[in-house]
Order: sequence, then C-alpha cells, then structure tokens
Amino acid sequence: MWRRSLRAARRCLGCRSPGPQGMCSSHAVRTCSAPALPAGRITALQAVELWRRHFEERGVTEPHLSSQYIVAHLLRAKTIQSLDQERLTEFLSREETEQVWKLCTRRLSRMPVQYVIEEWDFRELTLKMRPPVFIPRPETEELVELVLADLQRKSGAADAQHTCLEVGCGSGAISLSLLKSLPQLKAVALDQSQAAVDLTTENALRLRLQDRLQIHHVDVMTDPEAVLSLCGPVSLLVSNPPYLFSEDMASLEPEVSRFEDHAALDGGEDGLNVIKHILTLAPQILSDHGRVYMEVDPRHPPLIRRWVEVNVEELQYVETRLDITGRPRFCILQKATAETGPQAGSGLRN
Amino acid sequence: MAYRRVVNLLPRGKEFVFGLWIHRFQKPQTVISQSHCGRTERTLHTSTPSMVKLLSVDELFARRSVQEHLKKMETEYSECLRAVSSSLPEEQCSEDELKTKRTKVSLLAPLVQSIRELDAKQKEIAETEMLLKDDDPALRELAELERESCVQDIQDLRQKILDLLIPEEDADLSDLVLEVTAGVGGQEAMLFTAEVFDMYQGFAQHHGWSFDILGQMTSDLGGLRNASASISGPQSYKIMKFEAGVHRVQRIPKTEKLGRMHTSTMTVAVLPQPTEISLTIHPKDLRIDTMRASGAGGQHVNTTDSAVRIVHLPTGVVAECQQERSQLKNKETAMKVLRAKLYSMKLEEETSKRYNQRKVQIGTRGRSEKIRTYHFPQNRITDHRIGMTVHDVQSFLLGEDLLDEMNSSLQEFSNQEALMELLEESSPEAS
Repeated sequence: MWRRSLRAARRCLGCRSPGPQGMCSSHAVRTCSAPALPAGRITALQAVELWRRHFEERGVTEPHLSSQYIVAHLLRAKTIQSLDQERLTEFLSREETEQVWKLCTRRLSRMPVQYVIEEWDFRELTLKMRPPVFIPRPETEELVELVLADLQRKSGAADAQHTCLEVGCGSGAISLSLLKSLPQLKAVALDQSQAAVDLTTENALRLRLQDRLQIHHVDVMTDPEAVLSLCGPVSLLVSNPPYLFSEDMASLEPEVSRFEDHAALDGGEDGLNVIKHILTLAPQILSDHGRVYMEVDPRHPPLIRRWVEVNVEELQYVETRLDITGRPRFCILQKATAETGPQAGSGLRN
Repeated sequence: MAYRRVVNLLPRGKEFVFGLWIHRFQKPQTVISQSHCGRTERTLHTSTPSMVKLLSVDELFARRSVQEHLKKMETEYSECLRAVSSSLPEEQCSEDELKTKRTKVSLLAPLVQSIRELDAKQKEIAETEMLLKDDDPALRELAELERESCVQDIQDLRQKILDLLIPEEDADLSDLVLEVTAGVGGQEAMLFTAEVFDMYQGFAQHHGWSFDILGQMTSDLGGLRNASASISGPQSYKIMKFEAGVHRVQRIPKTEKLGRMHTSTMTVAVLPQPTEISLTIHPKDLRIDTMRASGAGGQHVNTTDSAVRIVHLPTGVVAECQQERSQLKNKETAMKVLRAKLYSMKLEEETSKRYNQRKVQIGTRGRSEKIRTYHFPQNRITDHRIGMTVHDVQSFLLGEDLLDEMNSSLQEFSNQEALMELLEESSPEAS
C-alpha cells in the first residue's frame, strides 16, 4: 500500500519515452504482443518506464518491479537502486535494447522474473533459478533464520558437529544457506525431481559448498527405505515440503501455476501428504533430541500437533513459530528420548 | 585560489595560531567579494563571518580560568586518591562513594600526570634560562638547545592537557547512518543532493571508512530525492557529525534555460549507529509491513517485491528498505536504520539539555540550520558556523583534502567551545 503513491507519482512521466506505437503487428501476437523495438536509442530508465506501462496494460503483476529487475539484471546489477544515475540515463546499446525486449517479452507470458533473469537472492546467497524448480519464498529465509538461532542458543558456539537432512531441496536454498552459515555442518539434500537435484548440484558447485553436501534423487513418498539407507542419524531435519491444499491449486497466479513444479506445491487434499510421510520417517532418521523444522500452511500447525500425538509416538511437538506477517508458519518437533519411555529404561536394568 | 594556498600553507595541529589564521583568510575574502561581484547579489554578504575567534594554545593557557580549572582538577584528584587509598574506616565513606572516587581517580590520572609533567618542564626551562647567562659559550649553546626542546615539550603537553579536558560525547565512538534529502529547489536540489552524497562517499574512502548504501530514491534527471548509507570506521561519527545540517547551493542549474542563478538546499542528517547494548527495542512495539502481508503468502504467492517497512509504534518512527532482492536482508537493513533513528532521538533529547547555552551549535544535531553554502559562480564554499571560506568547489566535492580541512577547523572550534563551556561551568565568576 505504502508504495503505491510513489508509483503514481512516477506514472506521469510516461509521455516522454517513445510510446508503444504499432505494438500489435501480426507477428508479435503469438509472443503476447510485445511493443516494437524502438527505432531510436533509449536510456535504461526509459526502457524501464516503457515496459512498466506495457506490463500494466497487459495485466502482468508487479509491472514496475518486473521491468526494473530485468533492466537492472542486463546492466549487471541486482536492483535498479544500486545502479548509479549516469548508467541509468545513458543510452542502451542496440544489443542491450534487444536483450531487454527478449527478456521482457518472456515476462509478458507471465514467466516469473526469477526465471526470466535465471537467478534470485536467498539470504546472503545468489542462486541460479530454472523452471520448473520451485522458487524459494521469503518465508523460507525465516525458516533458516529460525534454525540458526535455535542452534546458536542451544550449543552456544556452533562448535557441535551437526548433520542435516533436507527433504525436497528444490534449488538447494535451505541446505546451502545453512552450510554457508555453519562451517562445521554436513548436509544431505533430497528431491523427487531430477531437475531440482541438478539445480541444487549446480548451485552447490557455484558456491563451493559441494564438499559438505550430498544430493540424491529420492522420493520420500515411494521410497522411504532409500532415505534411511542414505543417511545415518541426523540432528536436524529441515523441510519446506509441498503444503498447498489441492483445492487451492486452481486459484494460483499464472506465475506459479504455469511455471513451477506442481509436485513442489500440491500437498494433497489437506496439504499434509508429504508432511505426514516426513514426520513418520523422522524418528528413524533423527538422533536423540534431534529436531524437525518445517514450513507449513498457517492452517496446519494444530492439525500436525494432533496428528503427531496420535500417530508418531517418538515425536514431540515443541512449538509453532510465526512468520514476519504474524502467521503461524513454522513447526518445530523433537525426537522424544528415554525420559518418555521410563518403562523401557527400567526394563533394561532388571 | 591564492587563498586556498594560504590556507594550505598554514601549519596544522598543535601550534595552530588560530586568531591569526582567521584574520589572514577572512580579510582578503571580504575584499574579493566586494571587488569581484559586489553587484551580483547580496546573499554573499549574509555569509559575513560571525567572526568566531579561535584561541591559540598559549592564549588559552594564559587565561586565569584555565589555570584555576587545572588546579581544581589536581586538588580533586589528590582528595579522591587519599580517600581511596586510606584504609581508615573513620572516613566513613559509603561503598558507592568510594566507587565513584575510584573511577574519578582513574579518569583524572592521565590529566594530572600531564599537569605535573608540565610543571616539571616549566621548572626545567627556568633553570636552563639561568644557564643561558653563563660565561661559557659552549654551555650557553647547550642551554639553548635544551631550552628549545623544553619549549616543544611544553607545547605538546599543553595540547595534550587541552585534549584531555575536552569531554567525549557518548556517541563519538559509534559508527553512523548518513541521510541526505533534497530540500527547496526541485530537480536542481535533487541533482545537488546526488553530488553531496557522492562527496561523502569520497570522504569515507579518503578516511578509509566503509560506505554501504542502504537505500536511495532517484529522480528522473539523475538526481536523488533522498538516500542513506551506513558509514563505519575509526572516528567516523566524531568527524561526520559536523556535516549535519542544511547545505545550500547557488549556481545556474543544468535545468535552467534562461541562465538565471538559483538557490537550492539539501539536508544532511548524521545519526550515530547504536551498539546492541545502548538501545533496546521490543519486538512487540514494531509493525512490519511487507507486500506478502496481504494474501496467503508462502508457497501460494511468488513475488519479487521484497521491500520491508518497519514502524516503531510508540514513536511512529518509520524505516524502510528495498535495496536488496532478499526480504530478510531488507528487513535487517530497515532495522539498522530504525535503531539509528531511535538512538538519535534519544541522544537529541539528552544533548539538547546539555548544550542549550552554546552559541554556535556545532556538533549538536540542529538540522534546520543552514550550515554551508556552495557558491559555484564564485567557486567558493563558506561554512556559516565559523565563517570559514575555501575555494575550488569541484575539488571540495571530491570529499578529499579541502573538505577535510573545513571539517578539521570545525572540530577545532567545537573543541574550544566545549572547553569554554566547561570552564564557565567550573568557575562562573571568571570570564
């Protein structure tokens, strides 16, 4: 809301840049009618403005940010704000202009900006992005923050040797970010999609974190045995599993529904399909006091607590945490140890 | 240009004879303005220096109040020392009192030691002066050398004592957040704001400080509506605090078609960056706005809008950031800015009480005052707080030696002011 006035203030500038005349040539229709390449030279700022208006007319979401990010990317910057004024008011070369048109035309088809520019930031990392691998959301940055804060509080200095399993790694954001922050950590990352496994591998190599990360193409749903054989007891199980309710899949924006892997989004009728599988496996994978950190739908936490109490004896629901907007978004569970089974303990002594 | 050279030639530091120095470049300055462009406009003369007089170290030491103050410090030190070291319980000092006295002793120790060294040196110089009247020429020569070194030592000690007397501000050791905002003058003011922002980037580089841009709002012609940066490095706040205030530019703007001269302004705010300890913010007092607050969030939505805005509910202070692609990074930055703003408010409250008698409000965070004029046609920069003018605007805007020079003078003035205030406090009957 608070940004809208800014945009409105800028809107009046449009008239100065070359208008999108003749944008609907018969050839262009198939490519969602991109405006014609300008005959003369234009500056970066003019390109941003021209495409903002065009995106807006075509109902593309976040029109201004989209054109800003794409133009900034072509000028080798992350944000338009980090470019100096000279660069923005300089004329673009012919090749640069053509590139802007090529990438913006992709965005016109509602391809997410992250796929258009083939990268995005996650915490301190810049990750390669490629369809259809799930694009990490800001909430997941908070999930990592949560894990790090808990580890720091518990073990003081992060000197303890931790091992981590991530189920459904996608682009590798969670595992790589944890590895980056914890130099002692070793991690195993799994995904049921070969594209995700490939992308995580690529990102790990780019960030030089491949030595402490094992990546496997495994489906937790169909092959739990493989999961158990691939990793020994781990102290951390982290996941951002598909958690959307199937009925919500129809109402997703085209950016999500047309381009992202539905297997990374659709969690079944109640959104709990994969979550239940992970939680069932958790006690066998976790070491004593090992913990599960999971991102879920805000409707999930009470359901998960109840389900775990009934179905997974060795797992204890620790707490629910809120995301930045105050929604119950994260679940923390812990492997219950000897003290919950005193009978077993006394039995041994006899 | 000639005056600039004069300024450069003048010695800096300890033996800076300020009174003289001020006269040297102030007088020709007025001559220039009259001959050069007496007809152009009046505004120039509004900058007629307030003629703040900067005293030399020797002049200061000649003052009775300084001597009295030093004596007082010495007595206080001795008394505290006696109280602390006497093991006799009959003094009946409470534990708290003793503690205060102990701190006082350790605080005053370096000062008192320097005062004593100074006394010793002064005795020594008196003795060598006797030898200067000796018959033996070899001995006289020796005595002359001895005396010279003594004079030097005395100068050094006096400067050291003055430095020790000047109270440190709490925030002097912190890093800072710099904020520039365009004021009166539309596009031209924004262009100038961008130039000033660049100047401080250069200044930071010149001092070896880090300069991280936290956010900026650009104008269509390549200017800045506003911008902020985090600056950190040794002495950064102590030096940069003198830059806060309204900066005025007078020139024919690029945007002006009729060749008329315009006067525009921009504002510099310098907020000390608090450490974790000096300021606590309760999470419940914060409202964090993001684009994801509306709608379902999570996996439902893919957005590239990572901007974060934080409102501190009790004060209504707002900080926002959209500089990064990561929402978390933006949140961290916004938090940093918010902390700096809240801390600055707190400091302002505290310091406004302490400094309200100061005549020239240097170093306090008076933001509404016009502090400096950049006059392009005359190629000069005048600081109105101390009536100092230097020439060569382009070099000044590089943020290197010329700005440094201006800034050092401000520091000297401010130190003297602080010292005078201290002396007035300690002996109200003395001048």
